[in-house]
Amino acid sequence: MELFNNLLMGLSTALELNNLVFCLIGVVIGTAIGVLPGIGPIPTVALLLPFTFSLSPPSAMIMLAGIFYGAQYGGSTTAILVNVPGETSSVVTCIDGHEMAKQGKAGTALAIAAIASFFAGTMATIVIAVLSVPLSVLALKFTAVEYFSLLVLGLIAAVVLAHGSVAKSLAMVLLGLLLGLVGIDVSSGVARMTFGIPALSDGLDFVPIAMGLFGLGEIIANLERPSERRVVSQSIRSLIPSREDLRAAFPAMVRGTTLGSVLGVLPGGGAALPPFSSYALEKKLARDPSRFGKGAIEGVAGPEAANNAGAQTSFIPLLTLGIPANALMALMIGALMMQGIQPGPQIMTEQPKLVWGVIASMWVGNLMLLVINLPLIGLWVSMLKIPYRLLFPAIVLFCCIGTYGIANSLFNVWLMMGCALIGYFFIKIGVEPAPLLLGLVLGPQLEENFRRAMLIADGDFTVFLSRPISAVILAVVAILLLAMLSPQILKTRKQALAE
Amino acid sequence: MTRSRIDLQDLLFGLFLVAVAAGTLVATRKLAIGHAADMGPGYMPRVVALALMGFGLFFSGRGLWRMRAGIAPVQLRPLLAILASVGVFALTAERLGLAIASVVAVILASFATREGRLIEAIVFAIVLSGAAVLLFVKLLGLPIPIWPR
Repeated sequence: MELFNNLLMGLSTALELNNLVFCLIGVVIGTAIGVLPGIGPIPTVALLLPFTFSLSPPSAMIMLAGIFYGAQYGGSTTAILVNVPGETSSVVTCIDGHEMAKQGKAGTALAIAAIASFFAGTMATIVIAVLSVPLSVLALKFTAVEYFSLLVLGLIAAVVLAHGSVAKSLAMVLLGLLLGLVGIDVSSGVARMTFGIPALSDGLDFVPIAMGLFGLGEIIANLERPSERRVVSQSIRSLIPSREDLRAAFPAMVRGTTLGSVLGVLPGGGAALPPFSSYALEKKLARDPSRFGKGAIEGVAGPEAANNAGAQTSFIPLLTLGIPANALMALMIGALMMQGIQPGPQIMTEQPKLVWGVIASMWVGNLMLLVINLPLIGLWVSMLKIPYRLLFPAIVLFCCIGTYGIANSLFNVWLMMGCALIGYFFIKIGVEPAPLLLGLVLGPQLEENFRRAMLIADGDFTVFLSRPISAVILAVVAILLLAMLSPQILKTRKQALAE
Repeated sequence: MTRSRIDLQDLLFGLFLVAVAAGTLVATRKLAIGHAADMGPGYMPRVVALALMGFGLFFSGRGLWRMRAGIAPVQLRPLLAILASVGVFALTAERLGLAIASVVAVILASFATREGRLIEAIVFAIVLSGAAVLLFVKLLGLPIPIWPR
């Protein structure tokens, strides 16, 4: 019954008028950037962070969360109509979704994608609500020792389960940790690596770094490729899927939701991995696998459900333990810290209104998205006609203004410029920047907990192994790392993550 | 993509890490290290820098040793245009105000692609600048001057 009460409290927060408005703003922006290829949720959330200062914590988080799952809806529209993924998570939807559109069933494909997303969003909200309570009870037993181990697990798992070379990602995490150390040392008051620049004494802001690495670096790399956008202008007939379509799609939706929910909770999870796994699963289960790639409705329903479920359940580690599962959740942690809320295992007991409000708002937001996406589909299609040559200067300008806005400092604009150059360098040498952001955000917490743990244990490193919970967590870390040395697993991982 | 004798991607990443690690070690050389039970401010930076150094040497070595596809050639036009756009914004925003800085930044950025037409870029820049002033200064209350002081 506690669960019921919690959800009710959450709903009452989510249904407050101003929170409804911010939820709507979030999902509309999310859909828009989802529809537009070339802008992802990470730079968008980074851009809007400075302007969430003045909002109450629940409103800010509700809006930022809406951007993330809203982008999953929007991404599928572009995938189906243009055969270009609006987001990485909708890459798979291109295959069968666009094929359906070519056969004149664009309306059905769009409707199935939206319905699958809504179904998954609803189920994922329930999963979050059910899992959150036991996890947060466990989390209350944590001291600095356990929390340090948990942070290590979060970082390592995020690296192992995400794209790219594990060794390079580990190096990127360390690089992020190092950047996180810049500034005045909390316990001794000594300035570290500030090079005498006063703006650095409070540490590096992560917003300019995120915008430079993810937003601007990406734009520069995008501009090197010749632009080709084939907008398929197609009249969308009947948006209402037939009964057979629904019957064919429903089991795929259920499987996609389950798969997405599980993969989303894992560190490193989120919206990218689940749809690929779901597509592979549907193809394996199908009686006639040859239909896939030729407009199979299961190939749209499964992955669409999976990416939405994954996007939402990736909030679980954040809301219960204060650990980000991916780079976007790292930004959410940043948003919380800006609001003066220390993310961590105690967040659920200290901020119940915030946590449950965000959870309940996801269901509300999904309902809004269903309405925004189906009847208003024409609006989003017309947005696709905006050429990239107009889009990117606007993004650059908004990044500049947004970065300036965090602390009203031009130093941050310069920092963003430097990070844009580094971000471009990383893209050129094929290194994923996401782990750096995780390291940067978690770095200060990692150091603080490590120092505290060492203080408790009087400098004895074995404390991490002698405490049972910590030992189990570190054992998982060791298994994950050892597994990466096995060629068999390495091969499967490569296949699973290959785009 | 040309094939090269060395893995340039690995090598460059490795050298980058070595440079960062070396820079850190130099910058933190005067900080007290302390010991595990009572860490000084220099403890963590040095531990992380040493680990990075290890990774850097590993990637550099691997880069020299194995063969891989090279890196797609760098195109200077988009790179310089975007960096210049951000740089000019940083130089002008507080002195000339948001309105002018925005126009200049957008026009510079649009040089990043050959597809753009100058007239279109100028008109678009003025429209965007107006929108930015309305949205960020009037609506969101960003404390930044609109016009030159």
